[in-house]
Amino acid sequence: MPSLWDHYSVANAYDEMRSSDNLARPSSSRLSHYLNSLDGNALEARKTAAEMAILEMGITFTVYSDEGNIDRAWPFDIIPRIIEYKEWRHVETGLKQRLKALNCFIDDMYNDQTFMKEGLIPSEIITSSKNFIPECVGMHPKHGVWANICGTDLVRDIDGTFFVLEDNLRVPSGVSYMIENRVITKRVFPELLQDLNVLPVDGYPAHLLDMLVSIAPAGTHRPRIAVLTPGIYNSAYFEHAYLAQQMGAELVEGDDLVVKDDDYVYMRTINGLEKVDVIYRRIDDQFLDPEVFRKDSMLGAKGILRAWKAGKLALANAPGSGVADDKVVYSYVPEMIRYYLNESPILPNVETYLCSNPEHLDYVLKHLAELVVKPANESGGYGMLVGPHSTAAEISKFHKIIQENPRNYIAQPTLALSTCPTLCDNKLEPRHIDLRPFILQGDSSFVTAGGLTRVALQRGSLVVNSSQGGGSKDTWIINTET
Amino acid sequence: MLSRSAERLYWLARYVERTENTARLLSVYMNLMFDLPMGMELSWRYLLNITGSENIFYKLYESPTEQNTMHFLIAETRNPGSLFSSLSYARESIRTSRDEMPDEAWQLVNEMYLYTKNNTDLVSERSGRVLLLQEITQGCQRFTGFLSGAMSHDHALSFIRLGRSIERADMTTRILDIGSVLLAEDRSDQMRELESSLWIHVLKSLSAFLMYRKHRRHRINSDDVLDYLLRDKDFPRAVLHCINELQAYNNQLPNSEELKKSLKKLELFLMDMNIEQSTPSQLHDLLDYIQARLGDTHNQIESTWFLPKLET
Repeated sequence: MPSLWDHYSVANAYDEMRSSDNLARPSSSRLSHYLNSLDGNALEARKTAAEMAILEMGITFTVYSDEGNIDRAWPFDIIPRIIEYKEWRHVETGLKQRLKALNCFIDDMYNDQTFMKEGLIPSEIITSSKNFIPECVGMHPKHGVWANICGTDLVRDIDGTFFVLEDNLRVPSGVSYMIENRVITKRVFPELLQDLNVLPVDGYPAHLLDMLVSIAPAGTHRPRIAVLTPGIYNSAYFEHAYLAQQMGAELVEGDDLVVKDDDYVYMRTINGLEKVDVIYRRIDDQFLDPEVFRKDSMLGAKGILRAWKAGKLALANAPGSGVADDKVVYSYVPEMIRYYLNESPILPNVETYLCSNPEHLDYVLKHLAELVVKPANESGGYGMLVGPHSTAAEISKFHKIIQENPRNYIAQPTLALSTCPTLCDNKLEPRHIDLRPFILQGDSSFVTAGGLTRVALQRGSLVVNSSQGGGSKDTWIINTET
Repeated sequence: MLSRSAERLYWLARYVERTENTARLLSVYMNLMFDLPMGMELSWRYLLNITGSENIFYKLYESPTEQNTMHFLIAETRNPGSLFSSLSYARESIRTSRDEMPDEAWQLVNEMYLYTKNNTDLVSERSGRVLLLQEITQGCQRFTGFLSGAMSHDHALSFIRLGRSIERADMTTRILDIGSVLLAEDRSDQMRELESSLWIHVLKSLSAFLMYRKHRRHRINSDDVLDYLLRDKDFPRAVLHCINELQAYNNQLPNSEELKKSLKKLELFLMDMNIEQSTPSQLHDLLDYIQARLGDTHNQIESTWFLPKLET
């Protein structure tokens, strides 16, 4: 009997569902088998049902260049990605370890700077970082934690090892889509989820709320919590609203907030001004407070940094956390883990060449065609070069711009990102994926069960960002041993 | 609650109510047109007059044919008063109020929006149009019904109800404006003969026909219908009833003293006014006056709760 999998090719990458001889991996055998019981048309019908659900639920993201069309439906592939529970526990421990070390590092950089003084990182990397905020020097946020919410991007190499690609410590997004993806899957494959031991993902907002409560200024009883959004035109507005709703927090914009002379933050309500204790801000540092940062910012609230420094407001993430969200600083994380925690790193970094280092720069310039080059400070997949997929003209352009500002670039080998079966025109084909779990740290640490799997929908493409034509998948952590 | 959220909920309710009322008005007007013999005074153009949209219409279309008028009032995105525009504004308001309402509320509005957006071709012929308007009316009722079973009686709901009641009162006065044609001195004999059937349509457009029959037990005539729809205390779409509701919801909100006074004044005016034997122009002026007071009420709601107070 012909199988759906007969023509599936697993060459040149680790496939999440099929082994190199095209057999189902143990954690995926039920799913593989089940999918085989559906024909291409039945799969397409489920896909249509998923698209309808996405439209009706209004799961959207915004693309700035789409004139007149604020929302775009969230691109979703119905075939889930599966990770075995035991393996996941290992990754989870590694992620907690990593965020703890990063927070020790940030606290150190704004205080004693011992890591720097002991020569473990060159001081110019910090002093030249546009994310180092002098106003934060001397601060100690509660629990010593600056980055309370982190989205870490993981990829698997050809042998299946998970590597950390980057840590997003500023305003990482995507967690609401992780939760909504599961809601859609439950509608599309209800019979399948029932029989499998898949860990739930919808507990995240409750953990987020607990974490935000745990960082409230000392002495606040039942803290008032708000999510600060740049507004309805922001690409992640859906997520801001979703999280506020799920936590029962207020969704505020900069205009709604006032910082009075007593350094407390208030919001404008129908009763007049009411105090706010904790703000989960989804606005970048530079727009947060026109009193201190960009004067032209219309998004933030004047005086919010003053309130934070006076200890009358908790901000998550703390201003200045971005100092560790830098692809150059990234390369020092394994050393941070050894230094601050006295542990060995559980999750490896991807080998990284720093263009600020003359030897590395020399190597990078000679091997551009094989490397991925990234700006140290951008997110969203903008401004990067994927050497093997680029033209000679693009490569020579990067040759030039890297030399103009070497500090701003890093390079990494082009990884053969793992693949996962993805529905393309009635057929399952391998497409490259990554994974963004979300880690919380307040008085304790929490990691989502899995995370947001992003998929590059173009054949062979390695770019998974939704703003660049990527999609997403539901991620299942399955315990096969119970 | 945040002033911003209060304002969005208030507008959400106004736009959903406006969507429903537009659907009702158009359905009834269509019925009325089909009942009338050819060549009567009532025309599609008059519908543009009631909705106050003649100016925009003539910028976009040549003549007020049935097709043009209906497309303009239902599906035209360039007409801010079209049913689809109201629905789009409602959707935008609820999209940005999702932290205040259960998910299903958003989905109900979003589904209606998607349905209308995907079915605008239905508007071109009568049977499709009837179907679409019916679907929208029911969709709005599902939304209102859902809220009554799923929202706590808190400030959020008070703002939703304020928005709904003020919009309702306003629409009732606009629909009664049809009456000024029915009462025109120079109306034809044929029109005089059809008078009571025309008033039945007016009642039906507000779902008031049965309640009127039950509670007034008169034969249908203009004075009674006007009296019923302007100042019945119990019928939900009667203007006085809407004012009483505004008073009740206002009392549940903070800083409500000023609005309380002006609503009382409006209530007394409605109870004291004389509507018997009105001429069309008297009626029109009266309705205009009520609409202006409703506008004042809106401004007062805005300045009391929505406008960011600048003192720090």
